[in-house]
Order: sequence, then structure tokens, then C-alpha cells
Amino acid sequence: MTSHFSRRGFLATASASAAALALPRFALAADGFVNVYTGSDSNISDFWTNVILPGFKSVNPDAKVRVVDAGDGAGLRAMADRAMAALGSDADPQVDLFEAYTPDQTPGSIDAGLWVNFAEAGVENLDKVNPAARQTDFDLPYRGSQVLLAYDASKVAAEDAPKTWDEMTAWIHANPGQFIYNRPDKGGSGGNFVRRAIHEANGRDPQKFTLDNFSEGYAAETLPGAWELLNGLAPSLYEGGSYSSGNTQSIQLLAQVVVTMTPVWSDQVLQAISMGVLPENTGLVQLQDLALCGGFSRITVPTNAASRDVALQLAAYVLSEEVQSKIITELGGFPGVSWDHVDGALREKYADVIPASIPTFPGGDWDAAINDGWYRNVAPGLTRG
Amino acid sequence: MTDLASSGTRRTGGTAASNGRGLTGLLLVSAPVALLGWLIIYPIFNAIARTLLAPTETGTAFSTDTYVRFFSDGYALANLWLTLSVTAVCAALLLAICLPLALYLRFAKSRVAGVVQGLALFPMFVPSVILAYALIRTIGPNGGVDLVLNALGLPKINSPYLTPWGPIIGLVWDNIPLTTLMLVAGLGAVSDNAVEAARDAGARPLALLRHIILPQIGNAMLVVLSFTVLSIFSAFTLPYVLGPASPEMMGPFMQRTFSQVMDPRMAVTQAVITFAICAVFGAFYVRSIAKNREARR
Repeated sequence: MTSHFSRRGFLATASASAAALALPRFALAADGFVNVYTGSDSNISDFWTNVILPGFKSVNPDAKVRVVDAGDGAGLRAMADRAMAALGSDADPQVDLFEAYTPDQTPGSIDAGLWVNFAEAGVENLDKVNPAARQTDFDLPYRGSQVLLAYDASKVAAEDAPKTWDEMTAWIHANPGQFIYNRPDKGGSGGNFVRRAIHEANGRDPQKFTLDNFSEGYAAETLPGAWELLNGLAPSLYEGGSYSSGNTQSIQLLAQVVVTMTPVWSDQVLQAISMGVLPENTGLVQLQDLALCGGFSRITVPTNAASRDVALQLAAYVLSEEVQSKIITELGGFPGVSWDHVDGALREKYADVIPASIPTFPGGDWDAAINDGWYRNVAPGLTRG
Repeated sequence: MTDLASSGTRRTGGTAASNGRGLTGLLLVSAPVALLGWLIIYPIFNAIARTLLAPTETGTAFSTDTYVRFFSDGYALANLWLTLSVTAVCAALLLAICLPLALYLRFAKSRVAGVVQGLALFPMFVPSVILAYALIRTIGPNGGVDLVLNALGLPKINSPYLTPWGPIIGLVWDNIPLTTLMLVAGLGAVSDNAVEAARDAGARPLALLRHIILPQIGNAMLVVLSFTVLSIFSAFTLPYVLGPASPEMMGPFMQRTFSQVMDPRMAVTQAVITFAICAVFGAFYVRSIAKNREARR
């Protein structure tokens, strides 16, 4: 062995550190912390860490709260499965509050009694919640967000920005390579763009799709029209049919002046503008014939949470005027409470953009059918093979 | 690659004469073997069983339906095919880049070699997600490279971002250190004497490479190939962030099947198929180690 460097020593260190990285992160034992799990993007976890938790100190100075990033919805589902498995035993599910989760994502969890009934628990501020946003008593809508089209205002004048699906289609074809949306499973901005295409192909009637009316037959009847619409757009998209791999990547392409228009989450784009990632004059427009979907993020609390009382206290604090106003100013989101319960000055300022309604698309089985259907029918493209 | 295989197994004193020492040895290996059985071997057989035993109304029954579905699904086959071709291209590029690098590091005696070695090992310390975003900023559209070209009045590059070349560039960059290390180790077996003797006899560099060096590092190259194939085949982050939406590489495809399509049996089937292909390359590695050991006896 006449090699110049101590290869074996190096390999030993390298493999040891690799092994350390590969070790599963051992579950944290109950340490008095309230564990808040989020599957949202980093702007949301930052909001919790930097705004909600410091403010919560004034309500409960002794509470120790930890925000844990579960990665995505699938990560939260795994945590909910763990809580479900721990139900009825003494085991600590090690999660006290889900930042954005709905009970229907874990089948049978409501019947099993996994979730705290907020109405029965008498959570403070519950009466302020926007009635339009309420779904069940087991989830607490605390922030809303909507998908908009963001565009480079130095290239598109505000009056030329598309206001209907047809105008948008015409704009995309007139400006080939200047539009991109992300893969529907990798982020809600592209996901809701795809869902808007489904609405477009089905008479723009969001009522046609509910959590319960999914069946393979009904999906086979309603979805192919949307694939046709989206395949029609593909040749005029960025690189003749490329799709970015997440909400942030779409914003990055807009910021690098690679594309001129892309669907974005209202909260993310406002934050990107305020942080200087996107220029001040970034244009935002919503389709007027039927808005792109949006939705409310819903807090859920498992009944077997070790720190359930503190978690409920935290949930009530999130619904307070203080936090709800900051959801508008700091996060660029919509409040979960009725607009009567936010700072009056804000209510005046945003009077014009307060949406009358935010169309939503049900999750559940529709998610898998839409996402996989898109990958099989739209992603391969017709021209790209 | 010769002494990696033999480390820790060479016996100095004939057979394990004293039982005490044999027992200590067994105890020492028992922990890793038990860990291997628990964390690797058991899950493999568990996974295979789960794909072959389908739940029916009357219990479970033997069924190969997921395999039939996989191999009759053009979309899944396109993904498998893309993964195979990306792996082949990466392995070829890695050998083409790392062999000259390793030859230089093995034979150069200058100070510059130390710097080159440091640079070659640098990618090892860069997490792939950081690399992915850095690549978007450099060779992505309107990225650093485009800015430089633009300043020089040259046309922009045809960006590899969101095409299969995106992950290929990232994976090659990421795998340079390990490949170079293993090749340098293999080249350690080539003695300076043999090289100098051939040079004295008038061998030109190419002839030297072909007749003296390559025959001695064939084994190392086989090991390098199997290692890179194993790591690239199962790559996730770089294809996820840099690659096209479709076809997908097996890593992102499996993850999506599992968490989005919510079809765990199909995801496990994809994993078993991936594993079976990787096992072939794993067998190359094991065989070359075994051959090495035979040769040393």
C-alpha cells in the first residue's frame, strides 16, 4: 500500500460518519415539551417559531413548545398513524398538535375517538371562527391561503394579465416557454392549478367534487377532460412541457426571470416579495370566472396527547386577534376567524381582496387519483415522448 | 482494493487454537451479524413476502399480480429504463473522469497533487440537497454560467435543469470522491518497480496503461462499478429536485407510489425489483472479494 494518504483511516472515518447519519433518529422521550408537527413549507414553521411561540409565552410562560417539521402530508399521516396506534394504551404518541391536518386523512380516526372535539372541549375563541371555513368539530381552521397567478409586471401590463381560464390559455400560447406550474403532488400551487383545470373541464362547478363522491368510475368520467386541457398547454409551457418540483422552485424560476407567469400560494408570494426574493412590482391576479382553489389549514389535537391541555391553550391562542392579524400581515394568509375578529385597520386595508369564497377541492381518494393520473397522462407529454 | 477485503480477517497463528480467542471473535462479529439480520435480511424477506402474498377476503393467498402489473405497465417500465440508462451513463462518466484523476494522484509526487486530492474529495462533504440547489443557481436557467456567458456576449447554455441530464451531472459530481478513492486504492497495488521497468523498456504511456496498469486494477474497477451503480440506482434527492417530472427515477417513483398513490404493496414491489437489480451488482462485489481472498491464501 503506497498510496499517498491514509486511505484506510479515511475510509474508517467516512464510514463511521455515514453510519451515524444513517442511524434512525430515536424517538424523543417525554420531556415536557409540547410537540407541534407541521408538514407545511418553511414560511409556516418560521411563523410558528418566530411569531406564535414567543407570543404564547404571555399566555403560558412555563410551556415549552417544540415545532417539528414532518416534511409533508405523508409525514403527518405517519404521525397520526402513530397516535392512532397509541390510542387506548399508555403509550405517548409524542405529538400534541398537528399544524395542518384533517381527520379524514386517517380513516376511522374520528370514530375511534382520536381527535379532540373542540366544541365539546370549550376552546376559547371557537365562536370567532369563520362559519364558511368550519368543516367538523374535530378540526380548527386557523389560516387560509389561495392560489393566484404571479407574473413579472415588467413584461405583462396589469390590464393584459389574464382574468379567465381562456384568457390565460391564450396568453400561454402567445408566450411559449414563459409559464410553468409545479407537479401536483409536490406542492399546492401546481396542485390547485391542475384542480382548476378539472373544474374547467367539468363546467366550473366545484360542487361536483366532494369527499364522498369519489369512485373510480366517476374519476374516469371527470378527469380525462382536464388531462386534455393540460396536454394542450404543455407544448407552450417552459421547455415545451417541464414541471418544477415544488412551490418554491416555481417562485425561483419567476425570480430568475426564466418564466413570466406561474401559479403561487398567496402567502408564499407575499412573503417572497417582502423578503426581496421577488421584486416589489410582481403582479398578482386571480381568475374571475372561477378562482384557483385554496383552502384552510386546520389544527387537530389527538385526545391521547401527553400535553393536551397546553395544546388546547395554544390552539385558542392561535385564534386570538393578535395571531390572526399577524397571519395577514406577516404571513400574507387569510384569517381563520371571521374578518370581524381581526384588527379593524387591517379589515379596512384589505377590504378589496377579502374573497367572498375560496373554492376548494376535496382531498381523500381524489388526491391519489388526480396526482397519479397527472403523472401518467400529462407529465410524459405528447411531444416529448 | 486488495486490503480492504482482507482487513481484520487475516489470521496470524494457524487455526484458532485456543477456544477462548475463537469465542471472542464470534462474540465480536455477533453484534454486526445480528444487526444485519434484523435491519437488512429480515426486511428483505418480509418485503418479498408482502409482495407475493395478497390479502383476499378469505385471508392471504399467493399472487404475483403486482409484478405482472409492473412489467405490463409502460409508465413503470419507462421509469425503470430511465433509471438503468442514467446509472449506465453516470458509471461511464465517472470512470472516464476518475480514472485519469486517480492515475494522477497515484503517480504525481508534486505539491499540486495534494490540492487536487483535496478538491476531488470536496464533494463528499456537500449534502446532496445543497448541491441540488447550488446546481440550479449555476447551470440552471439564467444561472451563474448564463450570467458569465452573457457578459462575454455568448449565447446561453441549454440548461439541463428538469431534464435527465440534471440528475446525471449532480450524481457524477457527488460520486467523484468515493470513485477516486477506490481507484487510487486499487492503483496502490501497481508497484512503482513494474511501471519503471516498463518505462525503461520504452513503453509509451498508453501502452503502460493498457498492459501494466489496467490488468492489475481490473478488480478495483469492478468494485468501483458495483459501488457507483448501487448508490446511483437508489438516488433520491438529485433526481427529485433536478430531474424531469416524467419519466421518474425509481427512488422518487417508489416514494410517490408509497405516499401519494398510497399503494404500499406496489411500492414494495418496485423496491424488490430495484433490489434484485442491485443485488446482481452486489454479487459482483462479493465475488471479487472472494476471489481476492482465494488468491491471498
